This record gives sequence, C-alpha cells and structure tokens, in this order.
Amino acid sequence: MGKGRVAKMNIKFIASLTYSYGITAIARGPSYLIAELALPLSLLFMVGILSQGSLVVYAIIGGFIALIASNSLSSAGDAAFWRIQLRMQDLFVTTKITRIDYMMALTLSYFFGSLPGIALYFVIGMAYHIFTLMSLLVLVCLMALVTIATSSIAFIVAGMVKHVRNIWGIASILSIAMTLLPPTFYPYTSLPNYALYVLSISPVTPAAILAQSAFGLIKPLNYALIYEMAALLLLETIVFFALAKHFTVWREK
Amino acid sequence: MIELLDLKKRYSDGTYALKGITLKLGKRLTSVIGRNGAGKTTMIRMLSTQLEPTSGTATIGGYDILKDTDAIRARTASIPQEASPIGFLTPWEHMRVYLLARGMSFKGADEEGMKALKALELWKSKDAPTDTLSGGMKRKLFVAMALAADADTVFLDEPTTGLDPLSRFEVWSAIKQLDGNVILTTHYMEEAQQLAEEVVLVDQGRVLERGSVGSLLSGFSGKVRVEISGDKSRVRMQYRIGTTKVSYVKKDKAGEFIAMGCTVRPITLDDLFIVHGVSLDGEGEGGEDEY
Repeated sequence: MGKGRVAKMNIKFIASLTYSYGITAIARGPSYLIAELALPLSLLFMVGILSQGSLVVYAIIGGFIALIASNSLSSAGDAAFWRIQLRMQDLFVTTKITRIDYMMALTLSYFFGSLPGIALYFVIGMAYHIFTLMSLLVLVCLMALVTIATSSIAFIVAGMVKHVRNIWGIASILSIAMTLLPPTFYPYTSLPNYALYVLSISPVTPAAILAQSAFGLIKPLNYALIYEMAALLLLETIVFFALAKHFTVWREK
Repeated sequence: MIELLDLKKRYSDGTYALKGITLKLGKRLTSVIGRNGAGKTTMIRMLSTQLEPTSGTATIGGYDILKDTDAIRARTASIPQEASPIGFLTPWEHMRVYLLARGMSFKGADEEGMKALKALELWKSKDAPTDTLSGGMKRKLFVAMALAADADTVFLDEPTTGLDPLSRFEVWSAIKQLDGNVILTTHYMEEAQQLAEEVVLVDQGRVLERGSVGSLLSGFSGKVRVEISGDKSRVRMQYRIGTTKVSYVKKDKAGEFIAMGCTVRPITLDDLFIVHGVSLDGEGEGGEDEY
C-alpha cells in the first residue's frame, strides 16, 4: 500500500497540515483574520491620532512584529485543545512524526494565517515609503526569530496546562504582556533602561529595538545595545525552543 | 501476536493503573472490557507507544514497545479514546494529514484514503467540515483512517462511547472491515459480544478472565438472570448491585421468580462483572454462591 519512508523531518506532513490548517483556514474562517488584525490596526490608528502622525512609522514596523507574535502566542490555544480535548496529539504520537514536525506544522499554520495581515502592513509601509532592501531583510529575519520564539512559548504553556479552559485566558494575557507592553508601537528610547531589560523577557522587545534601529528611527544608533539585543533574541529563541521541546511531551512517562 | 510481560503502570501518586499483566493476544479481534478506571486505556496507550510502562514490557509481532518504538509505530495504528476531529478540517484533510504523518507518499495517501473513505461510505462527505458530521460519522472517520493506515494491528480505545445505537452499529460495521488484528476496548458488553473472538476482562489493573464469549459464559449454561429492585427482600438473591438484587437460576424456574415480581433477563457478558463483584456503575457486591 503505497508507503514511502521519509526523511527525518516529515516535510509532507508539515506541508499538508500547514496547507489545511493555515492556508485553507483563511478562506474558511475570515473572522479569525479580522480578529487578529483588529488590535494592531486599532493601535496603529490610535498611535497615529495621539502622536499626530509622528509615531505612525513606529506603529507600522512594530505592527509587523506584534501581529506575528500575538498570532504565534495564540497557537497555544490549539496546541492545548488538540492535546487535551481532541486527543489529536495522541493520534500523531503513534505515527512516524516527531514532536518537532508537529510543532513546526502548527507554527507554520499560524504563520500562514498571519500572511494577509502582514500583506496589509506591507501595503501601509509602502505607502509611507519606509522600506529599504536591507531594512526589509532585517525585518524578515526578526519576524522569523519572533515566530519561532513566541510559538515556542505557546507550546511551553500548552504543555503545562491541565485544563483546556485555562489556556484561552493565559494566551490572551501573554499576548498583551508580550506584544503590547514592549516597545512595538512607541520608541524604545521612551523607556528607562531597567524597564527595557525587564521587558526583554519577551522576545518581542529585542526584536522591536532591532527593527527600530534597522529602519533608522533611532539616531544615533546604539551599537552596544543592538549587539546585546541581537544576542539576547538569538539566545531567547534557542532557550524557548529547547523548553518547548521539553514541555511538548510526546511519549508520556 | 501481542505479548504482555508483567506490564505495570504506577502513577506518581502511588496508584496502580496496571498491576502486572502477563498475557498473549493472537485473535483477529480481541475486546478488552472493564469499567472506567479498570486499566483498559492505560494498557492500550502503553501498547501503542503513547505511554511508558513503569516496569515490564510488551512485544507486538516480536517488536518491543520500549526498544522498537519506530517499528511498532510503523506496524500499528491507534485511535485514542474520545478522539475528535478538528472542526473545520474536512475528512479528506484529516485522512491525508494522518497518512502522511505515517510516512506515506502523497500518491499513496490519496489512493488509500480514497479507498477507505469509499469503503466506509464517507466519500460523499469528504469535503464537508467535520463539525457538520454526525457523531457516528466522526467516529467512522477515525476507523477509516485506521483502515487506510494498513497496519498489522489496530488499537481502538472505546470507539463507540457516547454514540446512539444506530451510529454504534455503523461503527461496528466499519470495524469489521479493518485488516489485521484489532484490539478494542469497550465497556459495552454487547459490543464485545458482537465483534470479539476473544474477550479479556480487566478490573483494577488485573485480568480477571479471558476467553471466547462462549467459554466465558459457559458457567451460566441453562440459566437466566433474575433481578429484583427495592426492598422486596423476601426473595433471597446471590448478588447485590446498588438497590438491585440479582440471582442466577435454571430457565425452568424462571416462572416462579416472575410470579414473585422479579425481572428475568438472558445471560450476557454483563453477568461476568456481576459474579466477579464488579458493577459497571462502580458499585458491586459479589456473592459466594457458585453460578
């Protein structure tokens, strides 16, 4: 019966689940998209009005990061729901996929679900002429790291909750604490140094600092802080990913 | 052939889910029956490599569940208890994702998925979101996924729990189409009687009895079950389950008990539980008389 042994990472499974749960979901559940976009777009509007336009560019650049982070964090809901309620994780444990395949598929599903929002922000950014090739490349790299780091946080939380009802509240709190408090919609220089380091527990903070620097919004550039934040973002991504692997229990003891 | 070798599971709070089961299972369809918490699901989860035993081991087709996890996963399919499809994905998407996760090629997954969905009469609904399907169709979808998996051994953990009689019948028909050996847990005695060549009765992490339905019920040959509820206790009975008293009498004496206000029922696998002092409702008190 048409079985084909696959390589270590099951790309076919990842692609298939991502397509079904991430891409087709855009057409089937447009309300999700509107819900995801509602907060960052509202904040963009508010920041624009309150700052009389002076901070709009911060909010556009921060919006990319906030959108991707809050979307990734909300995957905690599905990760917990699939494990506790639907028992889909148990179903997949008995197949050939690994926990990494599973995490990657769910992460990419949510990432693709964010694409319409990213496209909208891109159009707004183009209208404001904020992109250069280099700044765009930096933004893409930052979004990739933020996706991995915040999805990992989502899996850590999803692996720890015992009752699925708790996860929705926790995901919302995390989303606010990790995407809105950090300097995504305002200049990081508005924060005292100690607050910057406290907020750096969220990978969104170093990403936002690096993005504001890459887009030349903060002058002169603080190279020491840039190197520090780049190292911190990389470290947080690695640590959160390792913890997510640990908490996504594949074969229970 | 599945062989359990002193398989034990002890949780961190000290409770035993399985107290050391040694067993050989080789029939095409074996039903593991027992009330909630008996250890059925723990046994299935360990055999299908979802849960590690505390001690002991098991082999499936010669492969050890601890050492040969990949080989076991390649040769078995397991549908967890209360598994439920993802609401807005379609049966076709579930099928593809599952078969690809099992390592099939896209072509193989499409071919096998189509065959299984057609065989279980789900093809017409293949593109409907699963939250629009009936409970029976959702369960049939999982059986179809197991069917398409082409596994040597299929584990089904309470596949019909919560379904109406017609849906259960549909799922039973689907289960009968599965290839290979099937290990099915249930607490519906009727299900075990309908489907299983061999029945394993477990309670409190131990095997109480095993054998064909006929051999397990041979002790009741020529008898019927008589029941009486409430305080009409002038009638002497062997067993008590809650407020109901039960006894086993020869068929030709049934009339006398009916005259005393008792209800007479034919013997089923339920009666094994009664004589072992195990009620499916969790309350039971075994008698001493031989049945």
